[in-house]
Amino acid sequence: MASSSPSDLENPHATCSYAPLPGGTGDEPTVSRHPKKSAAIFLVCAFLSLAFVVALIGVDKAELNTNEAAVVLSRGRGVDKGVSEKSFRPLLGAENSYPWSSNMLDWQRTGFHFQPKNNWMNDPNGPVFYKGWYHLFYQYHPDAPVWGKIVWGHAVSKDLVNWRHLPIAMETDQWYDEQGVWTGSATILPDGQLVVLYTGSTNESVQVQNLAYPADPSDPLLINWVKYPGNPVLVPPPGIDEKDFRDPTTAWKTPEGKWRITIGSKVNKTGISLVYDTEDFKSFELLDQVLHAVPGTGMWECVDFYPISKQGENGLDTSIDGPGVKHVVKASMDDDRNDYYSIGTYDALKGKWTPDNPASDVGIGLRYDYGIYYASKTFYDQDKQRRVLWSWIKETDTEASDISKGWASLMGVPRTILLDKKTQTNIIQWPVEEINRLRTNATVFKNLVVEAGSLVPLELPAASQLDIVAEFELDEATVMRLNDVSDADVAYDCAKNGGAATRGALGPFGITVLAHEGLIEHTPVYFYVAKGVDGNLKTFFCADQSRSSSAMDVDKSIYGNVVPVMKGEKLSMRILVDHSIVESFAQGGRTCITSRVYPTKAIYNNAQVFLFNNATAATVTASLSIWQMKSAQI
Amino acid sequence: MNFSSPLTILFTLLLLHETLYSTMADQKFIENTCKGTPSPNLCLKILLANPKSQNSDLTDLALIGVAAVKDKGVEIIRQIVALKSSKPKLRPTLNYCEEAYHAVVYADVPSSSEALRGGLAKFAEDGMADSAVESQACERSFSEHGWMSPMTDSNKAMNDVANVVRAIIRMLL
Repeated sequence: MASSSPSDLENPHATCSYAPLPGGTGDEPTVSRHPKKSAAIFLVCAFLSLAFVVALIGVDKAELNTNEAAVVLSRGRGVDKGVSEKSFRPLLGAENSYPWSSNMLDWQRTGFHFQPKNNWMNDPNGPVFYKGWYHLFYQYHPDAPVWGKIVWGHAVSKDLVNWRHLPIAMETDQWYDEQGVWTGSATILPDGQLVVLYTGSTNESVQVQNLAYPADPSDPLLINWVKYPGNPVLVPPPGIDEKDFRDPTTAWKTPEGKWRITIGSKVNKTGISLVYDTEDFKSFELLDQVLHAVPGTGMWECVDFYPISKQGENGLDTSIDGPGVKHVVKASMDDDRNDYYSIGTYDALKGKWTPDNPASDVGIGLRYDYGIYYASKTFYDQDKQRRVLWSWIKETDTEASDISKGWASLMGVPRTILLDKKTQTNIIQWPVEEINRLRTNATVFKNLVVEAGSLVPLELPAASQLDIVAEFELDEATVMRLNDVSDADVAYDCAKNGGAATRGALGPFGITVLAHEGLIEHTPVYFYVAKGVDGNLKTFFCADQSRSSSAMDVDKSIYGNVVPVMKGEKLSMRILVDHSIVESFAQGGRTCITSRVYPTKAIYNNAQVFLFNNATAATVTASLSIWQMKSAQI
Repeated sequence: MNFSSPLTILFTLLLLHETLYSTMADQKFIENTCKGTPSPNLCLKILLANPKSQNSDLTDLALIGVAAVKDKGVEIIRQIVALKSSKPKLRPTLNYCEEAYHAVVYADVPSSSEALRGGLAKFAEDGMADSAVESQACERSFSEHGWMSPMTDSNKAMNDVANVVRAIIRMLL
């Protein structure tokens, strides 16, 4: 029985509910101490630990690709934990909560992620800061929560967090965009003029580029738009298929003083980015050379091209170039639905870009995000001198559910982008600081020592809208002592190694969110540390949806990737929980994972958060700050 | 025109030969396409059932496939309506299935067709992937509630057709 003396709270070793410590950086920290209830709490905790152990044995549900609803128990963990596999209750029967109730579906709508009132959204378009307002346009299908004939939706904000929905900016009212007003970008000219280039799908379904501009440039809300009467300004060039020509970028200045854009395409299976120069956005000259090409990557959608500062802590205007600058080429790979980027060097005279590391080239190297994240686009926010990234986050439930709830898709929380000065080989992404203004009611835990194989319920007022910042340290002694290593462990793959239920000596450990008290449903976000034969540690960061919901008709993949950890760094993660979306960031944004989660039980007052350490050998010391997030006006 | 002239006969033979050759080539194209799907025989059955397939490019073949998904979906919805009368105990699960197939016929199919015509194969693929998932979810919902499924053949048929069409669409990427 755990004693409840004050020394316990300073050097906690229990597996019990923690009375959170006062202090920390939030408002009104919660302090609750109930010494008289400690016995009951201990028993409940012991049960929960057993339940956790049992739950993590896991029911390896047959993939949706088989027709048998087979329940397969993955390998047990032995009698030494005192858990009998017979004590595990299979998750079948009327317990399961189909069909989806409106209660469950209503809960899925987010509190602080951009989404229109109803129906379907995809790519972000023309993001820009203009006359004091942030503008976001987006691919919108007004008729159903599924992709269809697309128009440009529009919303404005003063802070990238609270939004005002405006009328549709552009409809399919011309022959050259009759089948869809597709993705495009905005450019602000030096005199303050704003122009937009976008792809139209013509009445014959040919992809062309069109010019549009505000009907009234003095209207800061940019409600009405004019399409250039001479549209289209670009049609597919020779050698390019009429359906492989879309998503023009923001323009940047060339050394000759012209404007330059790039448009993704493909030739056979080689993804390419075409380059055009223009002086007036009405007539264009195709350069002989592409900006870049990578064989085998297929069609490049939503290409983005922008400078990042080697030394500075600010973003850069798209036209900036020079010795202190690297350039990023990003593309959305049509083939695998992921956004890839690469850092390299731009030759402005030739209009060519070369990756620093060809092994990590566009489409084959780093991704912005290892979960659901596509068609992303950055803009330079000249007001706060930062480069901001928007991305489309689709649903991973069934269309039937989307129809029931009346909407589909979100935007991720906008992120700032900077070069990672420590590694030099990747960018870091971080939620814009304005999101912090939604933080309230902080709960702080300091130096919780979590033994191997334990679970710590965290007492919180609520758990559907959270900002969690956590730091972890593995106990050095175990790490040094570990001899039974093989290179198999460093070949860990978040997607394939069974998620948080698979135990290693030094992981997994982390935080499980949208968790039901019996862990019938939970979504662990965790580090898995592997020690190689050379003694070096390799750290993986994963988000595990395999037990996120009892529902059988939602995606239950496990996402993640390796995350670079520099010498002396603690392991840190930030998790934004917002109903059916969880955004996770490791090491200050070196590796990011966006997940869609659709629990049936771990919703409303039944959602909880647990800290866990499922390693077999190492103890982990964790410090966390957890804020309740207010809802934004959206 | 002199019909018995050697030139005319030669011309006619050449024309017939070309037509025969191009028909064989189209057939080869359809066969090769179907080889790249999980159920080549089912694929051939669907595509060859539509005479337009003889003059189709890959996009057109995919559109024929999507139409087959629609037809199957409509048929299954009728089956569900009939089952709701004949097996009233299964009604809650049948309602779930009806919503699933409603999504296939009225959302996934139109979206996939439009995406194929516009050249955005990925949205077409998503529609067919969802159609397969809806059929699997329907099938599982019976055992979830402890019932024997009265729709196993139909759900499997939809799953198979949707996966075939999805494979064809992936060839467009």
